[in-house]
Amino acid sequence: MIQKKICLLGASAVGKTSLIKQYIEGVFSDKYLTTLGVKVDKKQVQLGPREIQLMVWDIEGIDRYCGFQPKYLRGASAFIIVVDHTRSQSLQEGMEIFQLAQETTNIPAVLVINKTDLPEQWHWTEHEVETRSHMFADCFRTSAKTGEQVDAMFQAVARLCMAD
Amino acid sequence: MYTSLIQALGIINCTIVKRHGNNNFELLYGTNDWAYALLPHARDDTHFTIDDHSPYLQDFLIDAEHFWQIGNDGQIQSGIWSEKTASSLLRLEAIAAVTKGECFLVINNLEQQYARQQKTLQSARELLITNDKMLAEQEYLQERLETILRQADNLTALQAPLNKVIEHAEFGIIIADADMQIVQQNPRALALFELSEQQAPPSPLSITMRLFNEQCPSVERILSTHSEWRGELFWHMSEYVNKWLDLSLQAVVDAQGALVNWIFILNDVTRLKYLQQRNEQLGMYDIVTDLPNRHLLLQNTESAVSDQHPFYFLYLDIKWFKRVNDRYGHAVGDTLLIELVERIQPLLGDENLLARMGGDEFAILLHDTTSAKECDAFCQRLIQTVEQPFYTPDKQQLRVGLNIGVAHYPSDATDCEQLVRFADMAVYSAKRQLDSHAAFYSKSLKDITMKRIAMEEALRKAIKAREFELFLQPIIDMRSGGIVKAEALIRWRDKSNKLISPDEFIPIAELCGLIIPIGHWVIEQAGNMLKLLHSYNDQLTLSVNLSPKQLNDEHLLDAFTATINKTGIDASKVELEITEGVLIDNFERVERHIRQLRKLGIRISIDDFGTGYSSLRYLQRLSVDTVKIDRSFVHDLSDNENDKAIVLAVIAIAKSLGLEVIAEGVETKAQRHFLMDNACFIAQGYLFGRPVPVDDFCQLLSCE
Ligand SMILES: Nc1nc2c(ncn2[C@@H]2O[C@H](COP(=O)(O)OP(=O)(O)OP(=O)(O)O)[C@@H](O)[C@H]2O)c(=O)[nH]1
Ligand SMILES: [Mg+2]
Repeated sequence: MIQKKICLLGASAVGKTSLIKQYIEGVFSDKYLTTLGVKVDKKQVQLGPREIQLMVWDIEGIDRYCGFQPKYLRGASAFIIVVDHTRSQSLQEGMEIFQLAQETTNIPAVLVINKTDLPEQWHWTEHEVETRSHMFADCFRTSAKTGEQVDAMFQAVARLCMAD
Repeated sequence: MYTSLIQALGIINCTIVKRHGNNNFELLYGTNDWAYALLPHARDDTHFTIDDHSPYLQDFLIDAEHFWQIGNDGQIQSGIWSEKTASSLLRLEAIAAVTKGECFLVINNLEQQYARQQKTLQSARELLITNDKMLAEQEYLQERLETILRQADNLTALQAPLNKVIEHAEFGIIIADADMQIVQQNPRALALFELSEQQAPPSPLSITMRLFNEQCPSVERILSTHSEWRGELFWHMSEYVNKWLDLSLQAVVDAQGALVNWIFILNDVTRLKYLQQRNEQLGMYDIVTDLPNRHLLLQNTESAVSDQHPFYFLYLDIKWFKRVNDRYGHAVGDTLLIELVERIQPLLGDENLLARMGGDEFAILLHDTTSAKECDAFCQRLIQTVEQPFYTPDKQQLRVGLNIGVAHYPSDATDCEQLVRFADMAVYSAKRQLDSHAAFYSKSLKDITMKRIAMEEALRKAIKAREFELFLQPIIDMRSGGIVKAEALIRWRDKSNKLISPDEFIPIAELCGLIIPIGHWVIEQAGNMLKLLHSYNDQLTLSVNLSPKQLNDEHLLDAFTATINKTGIDASKVELEITEGVLIDNFERVERHIRQLRKLGIRISIDDFGTGYSSLRYLQRLSVDTVKIDRSFVHDLSDNENDKAIVLAVIAIAKSLGLEVIAEGVETKAQRHFLMDNACFIAQGYLFGRPVPVDDFCQLLSCE
C-alpha cells in the first residue's frame, strides 16, 4: 500500500492534536495537553479505487519554547498549517511557519482555521484572511470539537498527496 | 558486561543496539517489552533489521546512517517523540553514537522527564496564550478608547457599551484628564494595587505615577511632550506583595492638538515573569527579544558608574516602527524587532551590552569605545544595519530607521539617572530629523531641545488662540498680466505681534503632529477666503499646501467636504499643492487620498517639481493637474545650463501629459522671457507680487 506522510504545523494550542484525534479516533477533549516533540499516527484512506496509508505527523507547537525544525518535513507529501480564529497572533505565526517551511520544501500546503465552534475573536478582516489563504493549495474552516470539516480536510490533503 | 555497567550507572530504562552494517543491528541491552514493541525483529534474530514500524525512528535512521558512515566519535539525537504500542504510549528519544569506531543506537525511555517537562511547558504555554489574547484585546480596546476620547467633548459621551467593556476588562484602566486627575478607573485597576472602592488614598493613579517617576528616567520628557510609553514597573508593597506591572501609557489629543486625556493600561505580569524565570534565564530579560530589559540595563549602568570607567550610553529609538505595528500588527512588529536585534548583536563586542528599554526603544552600554569619533562611527554602522529592508512573511518590504542619542560618562553626567535622561534628550532631538540620525548630548543640544519643547507648547497655545494668518501670493498669466490663481501661505503672528516664518514652525509642527490641526484650520480659512475672493473674480483658483503628514491624515477628506459644504465654494477652484516627497512614502495611501480628493473636484498640483524623485510613472498614475517648477531651477536660469535643461524638460513632460505648468520664484525679466519663450505662461514670484494679507490681495483684485 502506498504510504504518504503529512505534517501538522502551527502555533501552540491551535488544535493540531485535537484535529488528529477527532480524525482518527472520533473523540475530542476540552482539556489542553501540550505536545512535546512528535507523534505519528497512521490512517487508511480510501481515494476512489485506491487505498493509501496516511502517516500523520503531529508536531509540537512552534512558539517561544520550540522552534521550527525543517527536518520534520523530510519525505512529507503535504503539510497543514493550523491557526485558531480566537487568537489573532496564531494566523501571523502560522504565516511565518508557512514561510519557513516554504524555504525547505515546495510540497502543497493547506491552511486550516480551527475552532469554528467558538465565536471568531481575531481582528483580521475577511479580506486579510482571504489574501493569506490564497497562498495555500486549499483552505478549510474546521472544528475539532464538532468534527465539522475535519474529515473533508484530511481527505483533501490525502488527495493533494496523490497529486504529486 | 554492558548490562552490569549500565545497571551500575543507574540508567536502566534504555535499549542499546549495536550496528554491524547497513540495517544490520544487534540488541545489546534492553529486554523490556517496549524494546520488542519497537524493534519486533529483535525478538527472533540476533542480527535484525529495523523496518517502518516506527516512522519516526525510521526517519531518524537516515540521519543516523549518515552519521555512522562518517564515523567520527560523538553522538546525535533524534529529539523526543511519542510511540503508541499495543499496551502503552512511550515517550522516547533515540541517540546515534560512535565510540572508538563502533556504532550504536541507544533508545531512551523518557517517561519521567516527559511528564516533568510537559508540566512546565504546559503552564508556560497556557500563560503565553492568555497573555497573547490579553495583549490583542488590550491593543484593540486601547485603539478604540483613543479614538472615542479624542472625539468626545466630555466623558459622558463615552458610550455605554464601551463603559461596560472598561468595567469588565481583565486589565487595569485608568483615564486621567490633562491635569492628571482621575476621570475613570475600573475595578481591576483597584484590585491590581490591592485597593478597594471606599479606601482613602493612595489611588491606583498616584501609585502608578510614583513608580513611573521613580523607575523611568524619561518621565518628564514623556509627560511634557505627550509621548506614549510602554514598559514594566516594579511595585513593592510589602515584604509579601511584589508585583511586576506592564504599563502602557498613551496621551489623547483633540483635533486642535490639545491634550485631553491620558490612558493608563496596567497588567499584572508577575506570573509571566516568574515563569520566564523558571523557563528561561532570569526575570531581567525582555520576552520578545530575549535581551536584558530596562531594569537590568539600569543596574548595569549603575554598576558601570560606580566602577568609574568611562563609557557611552546610547539610547536607540526605532524610527517609523509605530507605522509597521499599526499597519501589520504587533506580531510583525515583534518579528522585526527580533531580526533587528540579530543584526545589531554581531556589531557589539563582548564587553558591550544591548538592552530593550520597552516598545521601540533600545539602549547600548558602550564600554570599548574611547573617542566620540569612534562612537559616532559605531552609530553610523548601527544605522546602516537597521536601515536595510525587512520582509514580512508575505514578502512585503518594510523599512525602519534609527535614532540614537548618546551621552558620555563621566563627561556629560556622573550619575546614572542623569546620564540616561541626557541620552534620552539627545535621542529626542535626533527624532526631530527626518532621517536616521545620531545626536550627542551637549549643553547646547539641551538648550535647543528645551527650546523645541517650548516651541511645541507655544504652538499648541497658538492653535487654541488662533494666532495664524493666511497670506496670499498672486499667480499670474504672463500673457495678460492678470491674476489667475492665489497661493495661500501660512504665517504665525504671536502675542507680541511678531511674525514667525513657516520655515521655523512647520517642521516642528510636522514632527509633533500639530500639523494636522493646523492643516484643518488652513482648509477652513481657505474656504472662507475663496468665497471672499470670488466676489471680486469668480474664476480665481486658490491653492493650499499640504505636507506629507497631512496627506496621510484620515480626516483630511472630511475637513474638505465640511468646508465645501459650509461655504458653498466650487471645489474645482481649490488646488492642493503636495510635495514630491509624499509620493515616495506611502504611495498607495497617498494615491487613495488624492483619488478621493479629486472625486470632490479638487485639483492637485505637485510642488517643487524636479527636486525630488518623482518619476513619470508616479505622475501618470496619480493624474495630477499641475506641476510647479521649483524656484531653485528658476533662480539660476540665466547662467546655469543644467537648470535650463531641467526647466525645459519639466515643461516638455508637463505638455506631453497635458498638465499645467507654473514657474515659482520668478524675480527677473530675463527669467520671465525665458519661460514665455518656452511656452510656460503661468508664474509667481516677487516680480509679480509678494505674499500679502487678504485685504491687500482684495485690493489687487479690485484694481484689475
Ligand atoms: N472549542 C474548541 N476547542 C478546541 C478545538 N480544537 C482544539 N481545541 C482546544 O484547544 C486546546 C488545544 O488543543 P490541542 O489540540 O492540544 O492543540 P495543539 O495545537 O496540539 O497544541 P500544542 O501541542 O501545544 O502545540 C485544547 O484545550 C482543545 O480542547 C476546537 O475546534 N474547538
Ligand atoms: Mg499538540
